[in-house]
Amino acid sequence: MGNKQTIFTPEQLDAYQDCTFFTRKEILRLFYRYRDLAPQLVPLDYTDKPDVTLPYELIGSMPELKDNPFRQRIAEVFSENGDGNMTLDDFLDMFSVLSEMAPRDLKAYYAFKIYDFNNDDYICKSDLEKTVNKLTRNELTPEEVSLVCEKVIYEADVDNDGKLSLEDFQHMIIRAPDFL
Amino acid sequence: FFHGFYAEEKLVGSLASMSTSERIKAIQKMPETMKKKREIRNKVLKEITKKSRHRSTQLSCCTQCLQGTVVSFRRFGNSLSERFHLLHLWHKTLKIIGAEFGTSVLSYFIFLKWLLTFNIFSFLINFSFITIPQFVAAEPNNLSFTGLELLTGAGYFQQTVLYYGFYTNATICKIENGLSYNMQLAYIFTVGIYFVICFLILLFSMAKSFCRNFITPQTYSGNASKLLCTWDFNINNEKAVKLKQKNLSTQIKEDLTEVNREVLNFSVTERVVRIVIHLVSWVASLGTAVAACAGVYFLSINNLKLFVKGHKNDLESQAAMLVLPIVASLLNAFIPFFYSWLGHLERFQTPGHQIYVTITRNIILKISIVGILCYYWLNIVAASESQCWETLVGQDIYRLVLVDFIFCLLGSFFGEFLQRIIGTTVCVSLGLPEFDIGRNVLDLIYAQTLTWIGIFFSPLLPGIQMISFSIVFYVKKVSLMMNCQPPRKVWRTAQMTTSFMFLLFFPSFLGVLSVIGVTVWRIKPSEECGPFRGLSSVYAAVSEWIKILENYTASKWVVWIYHNLITSELFFFILSILVLIFTYLYWQIIEGRKTMTKLLHKQIIN
Repeated sequence: MGNKQTIFTPEQLDAYQDCTFFTRKEILRLFYRYRDLAPQLVPLDYTDKPDVTLPYELIGSMPELKDNPFRQRIAEVFSENGDGNMTLDDFLDMFSVLSEMAPRDLKAYYAFKIYDFNNDDYICKSDLEKTVNKLTRNELTPEEVSLVCEKVIYEADVDNDGKLSLEDFQHMIIRAPDFL
Repeated sequence: FFHGFYAEEKLVGSLASMSTSERIKAIQKMPETMKKKREIRNKVLKEITKKSRHRSTQLSCCTQCLQGTVVSFRRFGNSLSERFHLLHLWHKTLKIIGAEFGTSVLSYFIFLKWLLTFNIFSFLINFSFITIPQFVAAEPNNLSFTGLELLTGAGYFQQTVLYYGFYTNATICKIENGLSYNMQLAYIFTVGIYFVICFLILLFSMAKSFCRNFITPQTYSGNASKLLCTWDFNINNEKAVKLKQKNLSTQIKEDLTEVNREVLNFSVTERVVRIVIHLVSWVASLGTAVAACAGVYFLSINNLKLFVKGHKNDLESQAAMLVLPIVASLLNAFIPFFYSWLGHLERFQTPGHQIYVTITRNIILKISIVGILCYYWLNIVAASESQCWETLVGQDIYRLVLVDFIFCLLGSFFGEFLQRIIGTTVCVSLGLPEFDIGRNVLDLIYAQTLTWIGIFFSPLLPGIQMISFSIVFYVKKVSLMMNCQPPRKVWRTAQMTTSFMFLLFFPSFLGVLSVIGVTVWRIKPSEECGPFRGLSSVYAAVSEWIKILENYTASKWVVWIYHNLITSELFFFILSILVLIFTYLYWQIIEGRKTMTKLLHKQIIN
């Protein structure tokens, strides 16, 4: 491939390579995916670090995220100001964490933030109820949802404060081999 | 604010003191935004240049050159690893399968790919070390080639490098006074070293997988992990996502109702009736397995009579050779359906229980069929009056492998294609078929077991299996995409993958090792063909070589290692005692840590 690309300076590409789990080729491919969402908004020259943000509707329409029930939360967690609109940096960050090369504890950290709907650094019962509803497409009755959430908190809460902190969550993830 | 600033300074300092690759890994793993990571990275780089400028007066230009070369090596390594990404076989296909059907079905394809690499490795080393030298010393082949040989493996192929019988026992010397190549030692060492490497790879993968997936599953196998950890983020197909959501809600509902049903007690008569039903079905399944083995055994004895009578290369005797493999494959294909039917009749406590019992019965059936075939080959064929019994065994295994492959393709066609047609047009309540992971994985393990046994008798068999596995991959993938729906039950994928590896290692690979061991140490090779003709056992080649080495002073250490480490029982006895002592110590350490965890747990709560 060589150094023929003119989108980024070599220092920018090196920085991206060091900060994400991607190789040069993958970073460039992701840039083109980002650009394809809105070719008129995204310039082809990033050497002067333009400040371009894509709205959440475009990000949420990507085939990888379109059917994911948590796409809104994912975009909110990775965007700069929490509203779902992402710059290229946030975009690369999101795919880096979601890729298969990211270690489990990093994914667990972000999964915790995704499930924490009210952003208070704890997964409380209402957060869990929203999670269950998203996972089951509102097919359970409210009593069933409430029962399930109580059981989950009972099982996973190590320090017994009625909600799951990051440590409780990570403790559970380490024990669950099926976590992706 | 000041506290955060101080923490950042410490972080930058610690990162600056790490080596380059460690630093990059540490930055990649930080759970911060890209902007923050870039700032920290730039600060760290400034810190490093400051430090190196500080020391540059002390650095000679040699060290600077070295640093420059290290940096360029790293860039070269990076670009090389990018090229090697292309070698990841079927990466894109596996991603698509995972996206549409989830990781449980994907685990079958990953297992298939893993077995394929074993076969590729074996084929490469057998071809390079055994077959290529044989081409140099080959005898001409006088037999004629008819197309039927591809199916039966006999006829023309008997005098080719495909089988053991063709290999010479001489020391090959192409150039006068040049290098010589001892075919006997090459054969036994190539096969031996391949099996040792396979053993180590299997042992380490299994241990790693077991360690990761079975540490403490029991404490969290309940609802918490089911809810928060089993969502398969790989899936991005709308239908699959809807299906998964429905499954999860159904499962949660079932769990909640089960909670209320836990208190149900079976009365004494009901329990006795259930135990009797279980016993009867176990007797029936074991009886079927025994009957299948007896059938295979008597068929093979008849088969042998055909061979020993002599070659009659007409159509009838060729077709008769195929009867045994076809019958074995038919038994392997249809008896599992009988077992699943039995499983439905008995009422198990959980569906998971039913799956495990059915898989266990299938394993017993397959092990007994392979076992009876090995007994027949090693005890009856080896002692028969045929000219070259190893080639006969090789041909048998070739036919078994080939017919098994054909049945696998047919099974895909009939099992999934027809079931889809029936499920959508005639009997809509059946619906689309699901991909039966357990049965397919057992078929793969059976095929791989046959290939491993066949490596000694037919060195190029892994090449054939390589081609067959590749074709099976594509056929199964197409059949999956066209005909199947994503699985309804939640498979605990990680634990199933560990069980597959365990099944591959324990009955399959260790069984193969024992068969090969018996062949090498106990059985007398045939007099007139193969690399070990005339010796009293295959192993005698190694002992004779050691005797020759004793005459050279330069290789006395090899002789010493042989006599005192490999053939000495005392050495293995001491090794076993040491291994047992270490196992006991590790066990005690683990027990101690468990008590520690419980105490700490109590402390956190209070």
